[in-house]
Amino acid sequence: MGARARAWLEERVPLADVVDALRHKRVPHHRYSVWYYFGGMTLFLFGIQVGTGALLLLYYRPSATEAYESVQFIVTRVPFGWLVRSIHAWSSNLMVGCAVAHLFSVLFLHAYRRPRELTWVTGLILLLLTLAFGFTGYLLPWNQISFFATRVGTDIAASVPGVGHGLVRFLRGGNDVTGATLTRLFGFHVAILPAIATALVGLHLLLVQRHGMSVPPSVERDAAGSPGTVRSIPFLPHFILRDLFAWTATLAALAALSTFYPQELGIKADPFAPAPAGIRPEWYFLWAFEALKHVPATIAGINGEFVAVAVMGTGAAAALALPFLVPQTPTGHRVLVWLGVAALAFMGGMTALALTGGAP
Amino acid sequence: MTSMEKGPGRRSLLNWLLGLWGGGVLGSVAYPVARYLAPPDIPEAATLSVGAGSARALAPNSGRVVPFGSRPAIVVRTPAGELRAFSATCTHLDCTVQYRPDLQRIWCACHNGQYDLNGRNVAGPPPRPLDSYDVNLNGDEIVIVRRS
Amino acid sequence: MTGTVRRTGPAPFDMLRASRAGRGTTRTRRVSVLAAAVFVLFAVHARAQTPADTAAAAFKDDVHAAAGLTCVACHTSGVAGAYAAPARTSVAPLCARCHSDAAFMRRFDPQVRIDQFLQYQTSTHGRRMAAGETRVATCTDCHSAHGVRRVTDPRSPVAPLNVTMTCARCHGDPVRMKAFGREATPPADWAASVHAAALLKRGDTSAPTCAACHGSHGATPPGVTAVANVCAQCHLREAELFRASPKKAIFDALGEAECLVCHRNHRIEPPSDARVGLQAGAVCADCHDDSGESAMTIKQVRLDLDRLSAAVSDADALLARAEQAGRPVDEGRLALQAAREHQVQSRALVHAFAVAPFSKTAEEGLGAARRAREAGDAAMREWRVRRTGLGVATLLVLGFLATLWFTIRRLPDPPPG
Repeated sequence: MGARARAWLEERVPLADVVDALRHKRVPHHRYSVWYYFGGMTLFLFGIQVGTGALLLLYYRPSATEAYESVQFIVTRVPFGWLVRSIHAWSSNLMVGCAVAHLFSVLFLHAYRRPRELTWVTGLILLLLTLAFGFTGYLLPWNQISFFATRVGTDIAASVPGVGHGLVRFLRGGNDVTGATLTRLFGFHVAILPAIATALVGLHLLLVQRHGMSVPPSVERDAAGSPGTVRSIPFLPHFILRDLFAWTATLAALAALSTFYPQELGIKADPFAPAPAGIRPEWYFLWAFEALKHVPATIAGINGEFVAVAVMGTGAAAALALPFLVPQTPTGHRVLVWLGVAALAFMGGMTALALTGGAP
Repeated sequence: MTSMEKGPGRRSLLNWLLGLWGGGVLGSVAYPVARYLAPPDIPEAATLSVGAGSARALAPNSGRVVPFGSRPAIVVRTPAGELRAFSATCTHLDCTVQYRPDLQRIWCACHNGQYDLNGRNVAGPPPRPLDSYDVNLNGDEIVIVRRS
Repeated sequence: MTGTVRRTGPAPFDMLRASRAGRGTTRTRRVSVLAAAVFVLFAVHARAQTPADTAAAAFKDDVHAAAGLTCVACHTSGVAGAYAAPARTSVAPLCARCHSDAAFMRRFDPQVRIDQFLQYQTSTHGRRMAAGETRVATCTDCHSAHGVRRVTDPRSPVAPLNVTMTCARCHGDPVRMKAFGREATPPADWAASVHAAALLKRGDTSAPTCAACHGSHGATPPGVTAVANVCAQCHLREAELFRASPKKAIFDALGEAECLVCHRNHRIEPPSDARVGLQAGAVCADCHDDSGESAMTIKQVRLDLDRLSAAVSDADALLARAEQAGRPVDEGRLALQAAREHQVQSRALVHAFAVAPFSKTAEEGLGAARRAREAGDAAMREWRVRRTGLGVATLLVLGFLATLWFTIRRLPDPPPG
């Protein structure tokens, strides 16, 4: 019976070789392999976001007159609506955290090396997309804090030379943050970005499957010239069960965070009210927000904000091209690690500064 | 780790347990989702419109105070028979106004503020007119709609 | 590019700065607008060559010019080419020639009043002017001579927002007032009052200015017996309660001016519960000591006021917490609204100076506040339900994780790959 059903299915959905490949797939197992799990964790959280996001869509209304009320309705009247919304918000935060951890583990373990350059590039674009998800989703509840944070955030785009004004208009759907911005960012958040992200996640995963997991150079060196001696475990079931363990623990953490620290809704956005005290973006933008505050008005006769945006843009471009820029030598690796540590320290320091002294 | 523990019986028990607990985890995910998907008792947020009772029961030259979200609203039927609705919160302090048939006015008991049947402040301390709402009839049911 | 930034919205740093500076900036802006206005006035003044030019320029925008009148309507000697100013004592009678003529005035406005001169003659200003004291105010001092505008015109010196400044030109000037043995404090006192706050901060143009209590053309300090009638123009409910109370007869016998005993006159401060009671700073303590039945009443009223106030703010805080936690508390908010209403009413009922009607309303208010609290409590109970649910789910997850851990441990050792 079982065999006949399987044969019937195989005839129509021929996947036997894929399953077979997965069964024989092996994952390197060494002292750094715990870092491999952050990729899977990010993927899991992406799934959570898709699921809870779809649920929220059932009750959310993307218009300036109704957005706040509909979110209020979700968290007050819909059974478990508070949970769904809080998990969506918490999961987005954890997802950014996991994606950043994944990025830096790949950086420090030098997993971007040939032939995985494009895996790195797609991964970095996915991180930027995650941030874009965060930025566009932040405005959707249409509350006071997110309204003003979005106004400030979109304003930064104005310092891009030449196209700045057009860019701001593009982001806002007009000259100012209005109901048009809400509808527009909603469209980005639930249709355009997910479409791009899904395609890129597919490509990223495909590349990871084709190349297999990268083994860090130091582990390879320890295996002392005799290739194939790096320990490995089967993907099925050894690795996938460990992944499942991490995912379930994350799910429990999400539920606990959402129950004890539910997302607050605040008060409805009033475009004509004065900016409230303590407007701040999501924590993962804090470092950039704080850094912009410390930029002088003009640097060598050029608008300071422009310089800062240019520096950040160059940084992002360099990060994208990183696999092609770093020389594959021990010195090159060491310099890159120090650069990575410096970047982490800068972001951490700026975030700490924003959290302690930045708040009015 | 003796060979006994690795026996097939031990393994299948573990798998069975794993399935049981896993089912519990799936259940604690599925239950909130199912409850969430079921339509809530109140199908949508009552912030833009609210039912205000029977129109026939509201005689000419009388009024009725109804809750509108967390604030009161007042529906008035004028002596001429027209239905009108206003915010029932006095613009002076936070008192709730009522209809006074003898004055044919909306009246606030706290400081004797008076509004005419267009909601305009005509006597006493109120500084502003009452906010007015649109009135619709759904059969016999009065529906008050906030102008957005 | 900077221009673009400013046009599309405040730059990040401006926003931060603005959020820190708060309301200070609007005030500064208002002051600078005033300064600019004064500057412009001076500039206009400087450009005008002679007093006659100034007068002619101002008259272009005068309500009389719009009605078709010319200089010679008032400057009767002007036909001979001499536009001399009329004597101060003859200004009011000059205006009254038209403004007291019902038939004439009706041509311009069918509902216009014509009693201003009659009122003026009864006012302190008018009586002194009739006695030959020319330093007191006459028509042109308040309405201006050549730029007369309707009271409804916000540029008029007697428009609601301007009239106190117009009165204060003389009544806030110690030098001028000293000549008449008067204090120059009332305008400043009024500016610190609850009425000034209502007018200037809340923009409530029904709030009383000088003229509301003193009259305009018949301006006179209200007599002791008339004060309550003046206040009752707006504070009708308090006045009714006061007149029905035992205080009325006592104050009349003492010759005290009703409302003013507790609220004083120009510097009328916002009422607060702290004014009731026998402790220092409370107005009751001015006359009452801690003995007798009245002391019991006062203490009881204060106690109830405090209880109600505490109950309302407690319930409010609880409901706010529930709302922050995302619980619907509309019923609680409605009950709290009822409690606030009873609080407002009970504060008015203090003017009955008796326990009975006051306590009844205060108790109703406390009951409503209790209902609001209960609604908030019920909403907060939901919290416990959530935590229990989370506990159950976490237990299941932990069981699963433990079993999974065992399963992973018990996996056969991977064959070397």
